[in-house]
Amino acid sequence: MIKIPAKVLIVDDEKDFVEMFSLRLKETGEKVFTAHSGQACLEKLTQENIDVVVLDIKMPGMDGVETLKEIKKRYPIVEVILLTGHGAIETAVEGMKLGAYDYLLKPADANEMAKKLEGARKRKDEQEERIRKAEQKSLLRRGGNI
Amino acid sequence: MENIRLLLVDDESDFRAPLKKRLHKRGFTILEAGSGDECQAVMKEAAVDVVVLDVKMPGMSGIEVLAWIKENYQKTEVIMLTGHASAVDGVEGIKQGAFDYLTKPVEFDHLVQKIGQAVEKSRRDAEKQQEAEFKAKMEQQMISTERLASLGTLSTGIAHEIDNPLAIIKESAEYMRLLLGKAEHADMPRKSDFENAVGKIETAIERAKRITHQLLGFVRKPATFFAETDLNVLVAETVEFAAKEAESKGIQIVQDMEGANGIIWSDPYEIRQILFNLLTNAIAAIESGGTITVSLKDTDSRVMLCVEDTGEGIPKENLEKIFEPFFTTKPPGKGTGLGLYVMNGITKRLGGKIDITSRVGKGTRFQVTLPRSREACGDMGENKELCVDILNKIKGDPAT
Repeated sequence: MIKIPAKVLIVDDEKDFVEMFSLRLKETGEKVFTAHSGQACLEKLTQENIDVVVLDIKMPGMDGVETLKEIKKRYPIVEVILLTGHGAIETAVEGMKLGAYDYLLKPADANEMAKKLEGARKRKDEQEERIRKAEQKSLLRRGGNI
Repeated sequence: MENIRLLLVDDESDFRAPLKKRLHKRGFTILEAGSGDECQAVMKEAAVDVVVLDVKMPGMSGIEVLAWIKENYQKTEVIMLTGHASAVDGVEGIKQGAFDYLTKPVEFDHLVQKIGQAVEKSRRDAEKQQEAEFKAKMEQQMISTERLASLGTLSTGIAHEIDNPLAIIKESAEYMRLLLGKAEHADMPRKSDFENAVGKIETAIERAKRITHQLLGFVRKPATFFAETDLNVLVAETVEFAAKEAESKGIQIVQDMEGANGIIWSDPYEIRQILFNLLTNAIAAIESGGTITVSLKDTDSRVMLCVEDTGEGIPKENLEKIFEPFFTTKPPGKGTGLGLYVMNGITKRLGGKIDITSRVGKGTRFQVTLPRSREACGDMGENKELCVDILNKIKGDPAT
């Protein structure tokens, strides 16, 4: 089966982390974009059609939760996976209530990350599929009525 | 003047006899000695509160006897009796630690009054000493509590800071692992050496991660979730979870939950963590074979959850340090030394306490006492405030 690359945006103020993580994801066949702040993340989203955002919660300036709210407001079907420190699971739960797909504890396990990325991508695909079908139906109905 | 033991030391029995009689009527318990040697013998036999001591005696002089008493029985008060016109002896006595001196012939009421004062002084001294001991003990406890608290804050802060670089190391190692697995590297020179080294990095990351996560698990304090908790269910679950590991070492886990009401108002998740830790510890303490007994007892306001093992036991010197963070007897990499530290913190947060009894070679018993309800928890909270209050007073007292 040919893997369709997911467009993943990694957002973390730890530049070395972003670099290594994106190298690894690219190696596994994903299309990777990076940002080092919440603001840069939102800018990137205007330029690229991103599937999944991997978002660090603890960032200076606009933090992960704020960024998440903004993402969900502007691009509701973009999936977000939160990266959190162990002491901040409550924040992760809060984030999921705000619409994040899932969370991972830092330092995250590669396999778990792969699974969650896969899951998030799938959910977005399915959602898009439903939207497409609904659109088709509405077009057909409109066509039939007129 | 009940229970006051009074020792009369004078070489003249004619002087002692009437005095003894009259003092006895006042309710004192009277002992007698005709010389310094006799006085020593009597005092070695049993402690006395007050000695009435003649200065002028053949053999050991009163001053010598006084010196001996003050050296060996600091708590005993001494009243010196001097001949008239030899106040010098009395002054010398006071210098050496006597309570006071009276000149012969002694006015009886005056003597009784002096004895009363001496007893009063010795009582005050005893109280002061008790107080000082209590303060010293509290201060010791306070120091260790503060040390633990600041150690905790510091180490959790460090754990947070370490998690970030750790994430970078992990990503890098995983990236290398991924590259090594690629077809293009199938014939890479010394590939197995690289793989071995990456493997070591990965293991070390896991080890560091265990430490930081355990530390940070302790910080998660704001959202303690109280609910009706059935300890019977929790114990059954936890035992089942640990059963496999116990079985592999031939350990039998016995549950003794009969007759106790295990329903309490507390945080089930945290209690599960405590139970699981205690069971894991118990299993680790046993080489092979043996028994672990999990039992539950209760009163109206408290439950006592016990995990007892027939393992190697904990030496006395380690018992004191057992709740300190990073204290472990396991080899490096096996134990983080945080389990009991975290458990103790959680238990305190739930308003409870952990007691340990252990005998080397026989086994260890952990007893977790928890309040049955929040109200009971509140009682303990009040006591806590009281303790803090006392501690602050001691701390702020410039006299100490």
